[in-house]
Amino acid sequence: MNASVFVTPILIILLLIYCAKKKINTYSTFAGGAKGAIQLCLDIFPFLIAIFVAIQLFRVSGLTTITADLLSPIMNAIGIPHELTELMIIRPFSGSGSLAVLEQIFSDYGPDSYISRCASVIMGSSDTVFYVATIYFSQTKAKRLLYAIPVALIANIFAAIIACQVCKFC
Amino acid sequence: MRKIWFFMVLSSLVTLLFVNPEDCINALMTAGSDAVSLTIRLLGIYAVWLGIIALVDASGLSNKIANLMEPVIDWLFGRTDSETKRYIAMNLSANMLGMGNACTPTGLKAMAGLDKQNNSVTASMAMIMLVVINATSIQLIPTTIIGLRQQYGSTTSSDIILPTLIATIISTLLGVLLVKLCNKIFKRRSKK
Repeated sequence: MNASVFVTPILIILLLIYCAKKKINTYSTFAGGAKGAIQLCLDIFPFLIAIFVAIQLFRVSGLTTITADLLSPIMNAIGIPHELTELMIIRPFSGSGSLAVLEQIFSDYGPDSYISRCASVIMGSSDTVFYVATIYFSQTKAKRLLYAIPVALIANIFAAIIACQVCKFC
Repeated sequence: MRKIWFFMVLSSLVTLLFVNPEDCINALMTAGSDAVSLTIRLLGIYAVWLGIIALVDASGLSNKIANLMEPVIDWLFGRTDSETKRYIAMNLSANMLGMGNACTPTGLKAMAGLDKQNNSVTASMAMIMLVVINATSIQLIPTTIIGLRQQYGSTTSSDIILPTLIATIISTLLGVLLVKLCNKIFKRRSKK
């Protein structure tokens, strides 16, 4: 049992008590907030389709493995085991896709191996850069994203390098 | 983004043409229906969180969080109006508490607010900052991954917590500093 499972329910309980104290109509406020979800989903849906098409075609065509093979020597040079190249490629695009790759790594190398621990830390410390950037900017008029994506990618790659070093000792 | 998308789709389709063209339509349709089912799942998740967020907002708690975090938010995002500030504050707290699903709706609301002030086709520093912070994730306890490791029979499933914490703090700090740095460079360049 993980202690973190208690965080969300306890916070919601405290919130409800606090709202009751402030005499807020919790029922209609909750419903009013929930209504906004429809517009949000309408906004992000077209971009989700675009990302999914690109990532699905990329995987089915086998380009993921080809790119992984090409990048493997670079990965080794910066201290990331080459077995993790595919994870590193998929991670910025798709959360569920990279989770599938992670599971594959767990079953291939065993969950407690060095490779799997590196993969876990990389997965936990990074996020889906392209996905987040697309969805977030879908709310704006901005077309020129300047340095947003490169900076996020560099930060995540750097964290992955650190992760692989730290995993050697932990 | 558009260049990457165009390149990915085009190169994949060309490769597919040589490898197995019959998979092409199949892959396109799978992607379409996957996106639909994800959107519907997200609709439910966002609705619940936006409901809770409305309670946080109506009770005045979001204002209190925003006031508490004001120095940090001002340093990271510059001047913003109070509504956007509240959403940024909620987004950052949801991030730190590891409530990944609550991050997106608050983040999107904050982005819409930042866009109103920016009103240009070029992204503002504050927008980029918000995206970078969310794209480097500051999750404190990676619950999903720990659960997955247990499922695969790991005996020490939580020994990744410390390394993940170190890596995630480094990535977010680096991201924030790089955004600040790039912002200075771009400002100088546009002055010239």
